[in-house]
Amino acid sequence: MKRKPGRSVALATVVAAGLALVLSACGGGGGGAASTTTSATTAATAGKTFPVLKVVWGTTDYMDPGLSYRLESWQLFQDIYLGLVMKAHVSCQTGDCTKILPALATSTGTVTNGGKDFMFTLRKGLKYSNGMPIKASDFKSSIIRDFRLNSPGIGFYSNIVGVDACEKNPTKCSDISGIVTNDKAGTIEIKLKQPESDFLYVLSIPFSTLLPSSTPAKDTENPPPPANGPYYIASYAPSKSFVIERNPYWRKGEIPGMPDGNPDKVVGTMTDDLAQSAQLVASGQDDYDENLLPTDRLQYYKSKYGSQIRFYTTPSTYYFFMNWRLPPFKSVLARKAVNYAINRQALVNLRGGLGVPTWNFLPPSYPQYKKITPTPYPYDLAKAKKLVQQSGTAGETVTVYTIGDVTFDKAAGEYLQGQLKKIGYNAKIRELAGANYFTIVGNQSTKAQIGFTDWFEDYPYPSDWFNILQNGENITQTHNNNYGNVNVPAINHEIDRLDHLPPSQAFSPQTNAAWANIDRELMVKYASTAPYLNGILTSFFSSRMNMSCDIFDDSQDDFAQFCLK
Amino acid sequence: MATTGQEEFTLDTAAELAAKEGGARIEGRSPWALAARRLRRNSVALAFFGIFLLVVVCCLLAPVYSSHVSHLGENETNPGGVIVENGKRIHVISQGHTTIVNGVPNVVPGGVPIGPQWGAAGGQYVLGADELGRDVATRLLYGGRNSLFVGVVSAAICTVLSVVLALVAGYFGGVVDWIISRLFDLIWAFPVVLLGIALGTALTINGFHHFGINISGQSLWIPTAVISYVFIPYIGRPLRGQVLALRQREFIEAATAQGAGALRIMFSELLPNIASSVLVLFTLIVANTILTEAGLSFLGAGVQPPNPSWGTMIAEGQSMLANDPWLSLFPGIAIAITVLSLNVFGDGLRDALDPRARVRVEHA
Repeated sequence: MKRKPGRSVALATVVAAGLALVLSACGGGGGGAASTTTSATTAATAGKTFPVLKVVWGTTDYMDPGLSYRLESWQLFQDIYLGLVMKAHVSCQTGDCTKILPALATSTGTVTNGGKDFMFTLRKGLKYSNGMPIKASDFKSSIIRDFRLNSPGIGFYSNIVGVDACEKNPTKCSDISGIVTNDKAGTIEIKLKQPESDFLYVLSIPFSTLLPSSTPAKDTENPPPPANGPYYIASYAPSKSFVIERNPYWRKGEIPGMPDGNPDKVVGTMTDDLAQSAQLVASGQDDYDENLLPTDRLQYYKSKYGSQIRFYTTPSTYYFFMNWRLPPFKSVLARKAVNYAINRQALVNLRGGLGVPTWNFLPPSYPQYKKITPTPYPYDLAKAKKLVQQSGTAGETVTVYTIGDVTFDKAAGEYLQGQLKKIGYNAKIRELAGANYFTIVGNQSTKAQIGFTDWFEDYPYPSDWFNILQNGENITQTHNNNYGNVNVPAINHEIDRLDHLPPSQAFSPQTNAAWANIDRELMVKYASTAPYLNGILTSFFSSRMNMSCDIFDDSQDDFAQFCLK
Repeated sequence: MATTGQEEFTLDTAAELAAKEGGARIEGRSPWALAARRLRRNSVALAFFGIFLLVVVCCLLAPVYSSHVSHLGENETNPGGVIVENGKRIHVISQGHTTIVNGVPNVVPGGVPIGPQWGAAGGQYVLGADELGRDVATRLLYGGRNSLFVGVVSAAICTVLSVVLALVAGYFGGVVDWIISRLFDLIWAFPVVLLGIALGTALTINGFHHFGINISGQSLWIPTAVISYVFIPYIGRPLRGQVLALRQREFIEAATAQGAGALRIMFSELLPNIASSVLVLFTLIVANTILTEAGLSFLGAGVQPPNPSWGTMIAEGQSMLANDPWLSLFPGIAIAITVLSLNVFGDGLRDALDPRARVRVEHA
């Protein structure tokens, strides 16, 4: 997922491969077991209701689950728009925050036909926030709506049978034969072209939420589409404010593991001004700051409001892409030179200390992560210069692309430009507005040689990293996520192989080791990218909030579980 | 009538001159000589001109400062924020890092510029470092070069174009005057900064590649061209008015009667008669163009980073204003001193060249 600003991405070819799933409840109805586990997980924060929660939030792209691809929206959607399944609403520090649980469906599905058919049954009596009943056919119409919106999420569904016509002409999409629903029985059958290991995770993201079939296939912002979770969005003024209230049709405890929510109402002010955002909470005007604390004031806030601040590691990697199709980074020696030329600790410092240096592509929170040792590219400018000389690319002109309106992204790009100059390139910089940065660098005609990028997971499985970002089979002409055009046939094949393993092996030690090996190969042998840090996020609360109710899963706080002292 | 508070500077008549010269024989003096004389007596204007020259000289010496004092280039980064001076480690940026203990990050905040070192770092980081560890003093001087270049060159281009258009419009009159006047009106209709942002943003994205001219988006010539364009009516309109008035004077009729052509009349007869106004307008417009450059660069439509200019430096310091106000303060002071000195000198020049104050620059 994209942090900010939103990348317009069509993952048309991305999540294609895969194997039958995976995860804990694979192949069976596991609803009951899940209920027991998850009831306990939210118990600590449950039943502490209070009238109004005032929050300050970063601006976002859309407030429509079919369109938004930003953390800011997804963090709100987790308690508003539910899919058939959901990720557990528990802290990663105390529970398994990557676990998939049933949401609108009674179970995490029955998987048959070698992992290619998924069957779900809807819970009975569910209603949207406008009083309409939730029907099985709403799932199909919601996925079709995603296509008709030309949503950035449509690539997640490219493995569903009968989706080809919709992929070819998304806005004219009218049917997907691989989704068969029965409103009377409340059943939803999804047929895949081939097994897909991460498919349950795909069903848990906001693009897969169920919306009434009457929802128009256009951006609906004020008010956004009816909700099916414990809250609904009562009003939304883009980039200014929102109000969230309790869904009057939500029945307490109807979905085990889903918090019923403590605040009766959430009033949000939206701003990207980090200093203003923090000040609103420090002054007690707001109760929670969703934005990052301003790095230059971090010391001040930490010393003065230390007990009201939490720091969290995130499944994110900040890295520089290098275009394999263009000089000088066609040369592996040049790519290695860049890796030696960047001082990762200095880049962490540039982010105010909010990061951990990394030489891996996969973040450490994954079970598939294995730290590459010895450190493959210790900071060594002399060695970098030598490699540039050996590559025969010294003196070549290199344009660094970066985002100009986000402080750290801009600084990181300018730092890279400086380092490239030091190792012998004629480096220039091109700073673009964040709003269209990824569209531009993801277009092959831009011919971006090197530049800033980062990645926050959509869901916690390595295919969300390697398949989308470094599988050469998924390179596209436009909306390309593989900005460096990384393409190693042997590694592409290995990614595909891992995606097609039997479900029981998806998280086996051998599979995990194989993913770790891909990480190592790409970094050590090919220097495919130059990763430098895993990001840390901050959560800042007012003095009236009870910090023990701050439940941060692997990438976001759950506002529904916030409570007062 | 402008004064310095001590004496007047409108010594226009022979009687006044004679009285001043103590009854000595009165020699004929050209208007330029008289103007120079008036200017010499305006010590405040001259003092501020001296300050402006000092700023210019300092900025021109930026490479010397960079190579012999700070030993750092204007874009040379040091995000680690540590230097070694006489074997002693000096931090110019606070050090931050995170350690993970049992999955919980322990963050030591850092990355914040510590502030001016003055002399403590042997000439390095005299005015401190920015967040990337670049030497602020070095960037201030190089930024001044860029700001002054854009300001002065754009004012010069703008003045030349305006003079030509004013002469053509005023001399030919009729349809030609109507077309040029409407062109002035068209540019005038847009607020300077708005038009500057629109043009600057459009041109910095892909540069200018037309009519055989290739200018990259990073080039200083982009803001220079944009600023020179948006100020054309601010000089062109008052000059056109003067030319229209002069066009009716007898000396133009005489020149015409002698068979002088249009070009000769425009550049040999009319131009010398508006030269003093041109000089005054140029001086005053330079202050405006420097301010506009700072504004456009602050908004990202002028000098492109990482190249420094006073405007970009203020913009870069903006996000750190609470902790490190000096990052924006130093370039802000530099702009204020430069613009103030040019305005005071410009006023003095106007008083000297145009004592009846016919020429005024309308502020954008």
